[in-house]
Amino acid sequence: MRPELGGASDVLLDRARRGDARAFEQLALEIERPLYRHAARMLGHDDAEDCVQDALLSAWRSMASFEGTSFRGWVFRIVTNRALDRLRSRKRRPELPLDPPSENDDSVSWAEPIATGPEVADLAADREALLVVEDALAMIPADQRAALLLRDVEGFAYEEIATITSTEIGTVKSRIHRGRLAVRNILISRGWKGSAG
Amino acid sequence: MHPFGDLSAYLDGALSSEARASVQAHLDTCALCRTRLAELRGTARLIAALPMPVPSRSLVPRVSVPVWLAPLRTFSTFASGAAIFLFLASAVIAAFPRAQSAGTAAAPAPALSQPAVSGAGDSASVQPSSQNFQVSAPSGAPAPRTADTVVASATPAASANEIGRQDSVGVPSNAAAATRENSTAQPANPFAFLLSPWLWLVLAIAFAALSFAVGRRLRSA
Repeated sequence: MRPELGGASDVLLDRARRGDARAFEQLALEIERPLYRHAARMLGHDDAEDCVQDALLSAWRSMASFEGTSFRGWVFRIVTNRALDRLRSRKRRPELPLDPPSENDDSVSWAEPIATGPEVADLAADREALLVVEDALAMIPADQRAALLLRDVEGFAYEEIATITSTEIGTVKSRIHRGRLAVRNILISRGWKGSAG
Repeated sequence: MHPFGDLSAYLDGALSSEARASVQAHLDTCALCRTRLAELRGTARLIAALPMPVPSRSLVPRVSVPVWLAPLRTFSTFASGAAIFLFLASAVIAAFPRAQSAGTAAAPAPALSQPAVSGAGDSASVQPSSQNFQVSAPSGAPAPRTADTVVASATPAASANEIGRQDSVGVPSNAAAATRENSTAQPANPFAFLLSPWLWLVLAIAFAALSFAVGRRLRSA
């Protein structure tokens, strides 16, 4: 799912760290599309372009102080933080549902499938299910959405997501589970039969 | 007790080996948890299968600049300065047309006024100098005399030049006729447009604009 970083990228990273602007542009070109899809799913298309461009510019300006080995994780961290900041300042869409204070995941409810019948729409077709998933992602809390996208779309490991979101692995685990469960519940409520995959 | 909270982590391979083994053992015996796990797996796959939004433009910031950009700005700045200087110089030259035409009229006027002066009767100023040149060439003996006559002829020639200049200043129509004759007699200067102030003003503005634009590009990188 995730592209393996080859030796060429390490060379580019080294050169970019020493101020080679062309090397940085090459790195940015490789990561431009994944960053954009992440920002678009977090923010919507309108603000995603500006968010990514600002994040890449910010990455270039602080390139000299970058000490890690994963340029990809580092830039995703910048984009995720900017997206979350922008969502907080927006506050135009109330987040549903609110994070329950309890950390006990067993208390999170699982929606039961609607009783089968001829009037129940069958969401077996992936295309319809994908539309539902797109809507569902926009409805869950931003922290859960970020963790879920980083895991299922971008393929980051839990440890990497913890670094990107500046949290602990336990928090990452909880957010991913709650987010996935919320999306699953919305799917079930729209008649999804579930375990087709 | 169903380990619902661990199902996602189990799916993602993020459990410790003991926890993983525990969940595995539970799944072997619990159909409900197997169903829930399958639903979570299906949800994760749907999320992974979402269509990829694409940006409408390039989002890579232009942080690199061509190496010739900074020297180009330096060159344009200096060229603009030079053009401003030349604009001022050509404007000054254009503002004093008398000095310009007097300078060009003085050259042909003596040539024309010398025959006029000699026609007036002072032929001794012209002829001796030509005669002296002819005489002085073959032998050295008459040299002192030729030197005297050369000096003697030099002063009338100078005075003839002065008469010619006075004539041109006092008689503008003659000077105008002389310049017209001069211009028709000699071919037009192909580089006369270089004296146009407008040319240098336009170049100064153009180079300044170029320098400004390149400077903005350099600053934005």
